Amino acid sequence: MRAMYLANYFIAGCIASSFLGWIASLHPMAFRAVLCLLAAMAIGWGLSWLLDFSLSKLLNISVADLQALLIGGLAMLLIGLGVFLCT
Amino acid sequence: MHLKLFVLSASSVVLWLAPLAALDKKLDIHKALQGVSLTAAIACAVSAGNIARELSEQGEIEVIKKRAITADVVDEISTSAYISQQQRQQEAELILTSPGVDVEESLKVLEAIYSNDLQDYTSASEHPDYPIYLEVCKSREAGKSTTWIVENILKMGGRKFSEGKVKLQALLNQFEEEGK
Repeated sequence: MRAMYLANYFIAGCIASSFLGWIASLHPMAFRAVLCLLAAMAIGWGLSWLLDFSLSKLLNISVADLQALLIGGLAMLLIGLGVFLCT
Repeated sequence: MHLKLFVLSASSVVLWLAPLAALDKKLDIHKALQGVSLTAAIACAVSAGNIARELSEQGEIEVIKKRAITADVVDEISTSAYISQQQRQQEAELILTSPGVDVEESLKVLEAIYSNDLQDYTSASEHPDYPIYLEVCKSREAGKSTTWIVENILKMGGRKFSEGKVKLQALLNQFEEEGK
């Protein structure tokens, strides 16, 4: 059941990424806004990798869990945008 | 609950993929439909995730409960075995240390007790009056009078004395017959 709940949240993340792509396709300004958001997310993602030990202490989770979250987040984004762009 | 979870999971995937694959992105109405369907898909996936998390927590609680019950049972068994062993030891010590009793006879009695079936043994020794009987035996061997035993061991002095005497006799009859 734990796998089921993780899978559901993963799918929710993928759908959210597709939704972001859909918003970007509405208007050129929306596209820029989404690009800015993605750039900010990329910076945050990179910083999280650099500061993983201090961040794990701050969030009270293990470093392995934090790294899994970061990889999962990237996978969600890639799958969601990939599905939106390829369909 | 499980059915709801599976329906929500499946519908979230369908609502995510089907409009993107089937509808045209250039038409406004199709685009709006895609947006609505993606929003619904996110809602379905999140609620399915919440239900699955609840079920997983309940499962973990059940596992902990089962472990606690097993530990309780094991503890109870080991405690009863320990008490039984201690009781046997006390009885053996009482028989061996009581004055005026032949050691060989006592050993034979002990051998007889330990070679008996466990059920037979526990029926007498687990009787609630058995410790009182042992106390009475010890006092009689120490030379105490019947009056003293009734008043100090059975705690039935004064008005209850005659009742206590009857109880003492019944106690002696009961356990001496079982001893034979």
